[in-house]
Amino acid sequence: MTTSPAGTWLLLRSLVVKDLKVRYKRSVLGFFWFLLKPLFSMVVYTIVFTRIIRFGGEIEHFSLFLLTGLLPWNFFSASLNSSTRSLLDNTRLIRSVYFPRTTLPVAEVVANSVHLALALCVLEAALIAFGHYPGPSLLLVIPATLMLMAMVSGMGMILAVGNVFYRDVAQLVEVLLLAWFYASPIIYPLGKGLVPAAVESAVRFNPLSGLLSIFHSCLYEGGWPPAWAWLSLVGWTLFFVLVGTAVFRRAEPVVVKEL
Amino acid sequence: MAAPGTVEFRDVALDYRIYHDRTLSLMESVMNLFGRSSSSETFRALDGLTFAVAPGESVAIIGPNGAGKSTTLKLLAGIYEPTSGTVSSVGRTASLLDLGVGFHPELTGAENVYLNGALLGLGRARMEELLPEIAEFAQLERFMDSPVKYYSSGMFMRLGFSLATSVDPDILLVDEVLAVGDASFQSRCYDRIYSYRGSGRTIVFVSHDMEAVSRLCGRVIWLDRGKVVRDGSPGEVLPEYLSSSSRRRAEDGSVAPREWGSREVWFDRVELTDSTGTPRRRFRAGERLLVRALIRARGGERVEDIVWGFSIHRTDGETVVGVNNLELNRPLLTVEGSLEAELEIGLEVPEPGNYLLGLALTDPVRRRDYHWLDYHFPLELLGPRRTEPVRLVDAEWRW
Repeated sequence: MTTSPAGTWLLLRSLVVKDLKVRYKRSVLGFFWFLLKPLFSMVVYTIVFTRIIRFGGEIEHFSLFLLTGLLPWNFFSASLNSSTRSLLDNTRLIRSVYFPRTTLPVAEVVANSVHLALALCVLEAALIAFGHYPGPSLLLVIPATLMLMAMVSGMGMILAVGNVFYRDVAQLVEVLLLAWFYASPIIYPLGKGLVPAAVESAVRFNPLSGLLSIFHSCLYEGGWPPAWAWLSLVGWTLFFVLVGTAVFRRAEPVVVKEL
Repeated sequence: MAAPGTVEFRDVALDYRIYHDRTLSLMESVMNLFGRSSSSETFRALDGLTFAVAPGESVAIIGPNGAGKSTTLKLLAGIYEPTSGTVSSVGRTASLLDLGVGFHPELTGAENVYLNGALLGLGRARMEELLPEIAEFAQLERFMDSPVKYYSSGMFMRLGFSLATSVDPDILLVDEVLAVGDASFQSRCYDRIYSYRGSGRTIVFVSHDMEAVSRLCGRVIWLDRGKVVRDGSPGEVLPEYLSSSSRRRAEDGSVAPREWGSREVWFDRVELTDSTGTPRRRFRAGERLLVRALIRARGGERVEDIVWGFSIHRTDGETVVGVNNLELNRPLLTVEGSLEAELEIGLEVPEPGNYLLGLALTDPVRRRDYHWLDYHFPLELLGPRRTEPVRLVDAEWRW
């Protein structure tokens, strides 16, 4: 059974709208939680890295630098967690109606991206207020974010399938995200000589490093991102989208019976 | 391209994997990497199934448990993909497999209708047109703006049924007897399904309720172990199926009637009747079942604190109900020599069919099993009375 692209698009949109509606019914602060969470971590990290471990002091407006990385990171970790659980959470639905099931992990990512987009607007306003004026490179944030969404969707498809077979996957993702956070240039910048050269070249292989570098360049610095960052982002995105859709397509008939 | 409503199964096989121990599966798969064999095996639910349904036909799929009926419906709905062979269905398929399954409790009735429309591939504009009709049929016009978590289960199912059948399907899949809402709504559900039958849409119906099958369907496909046993009109297939299933029941040793116990107290005579005292084995929904028993004690002694339990089993032996007067805080029996006693049972029957009633006299405190009659009394429990094929609207006598 196949569904037209228009049907898939309609379903994806409906699922995203549902996700957003459900999340903010009965929540007073609503969307602002998405901003409050990174703001809160920003305050914690700023205190830790400028008062306790003196490290962040070398970076101007360290809090804003942190926030620039924390917003996409929070989007990444929230999307990965929820898309990993998306198939298992919809067991009954999958077992009783046919629909394009790829929409489930992807809808989680898209719903979170709405938050990211709004939060980025707030961030940009704050950056301008503190004298970090944007350049024309600001527009590059849009394709970078779209690629990030595609990359996370690909990862989510793989993990969602894995989670159906082994419930350990969702737990594992949560634990790995903790390590992943420190392995990503969020609390420290790349290319500034602040981390040892060996560590820096290792961190560049992190699928998120390219994206975070682009965000730092375009938003925080207002300059042009380095070429390696684009190479990394495009490469990893292609990799995860191709592998993710292939894995999902192959596993789908089996997954439905396993659920 | 075949006409909408056409269904075709060509040499379809479907395998499930069965795990002997799911908890070990991560360990197991790590072992598999090192070439150890797996503890899972496959089970063939459908084995070379071939049949075709023309537009407008209403077909029932019958068979014992595990015959592959539900698997066939899931393949038809596109939920499963066949392991081999091809399944094709032309046109929009609506399934009444699990009503209201896509509903989110926090969303309102109307929001859920839109969301479910999207699942079926219908846009918001189309659903807006259908919404009044859906609400009206479900009798929920005033509740479409309330979150469905405030709905009763009846309202929930009504909306589910109304939605699934309002989208103008070419093929309607119905699993088991529709236990939707109250009797009057149920009869409206059946009316709607009957009207589909008249309007040239294809219906595929899976049921254990032979009465509904013969009323609704013009053709019956009898499956067993994933294969077609017989395919024909209800008149041809049903009598043979019924005699085969009663033979199967008799042959199946696990549910043969058994009688055992110490017999300090025993059932000397047992009679199953309806509430008027007429002996009966078939009961309609809502009718009360009366077990009238003469209980005797050995040597005419006085035996106190007797627990009288009963159980209802499916024909494969699975216990559906099992309870006694101790658990329900009813008085315990005392037998002095002999006692005429009655047990009155009221049942709700969401799944009509054949069942077995068992009775027991015990004393759990003193660990005594006085007398057990396992799987002893066959019962036929029928669904609620449904719409008759013809209903009188009114009649007048003039002169």
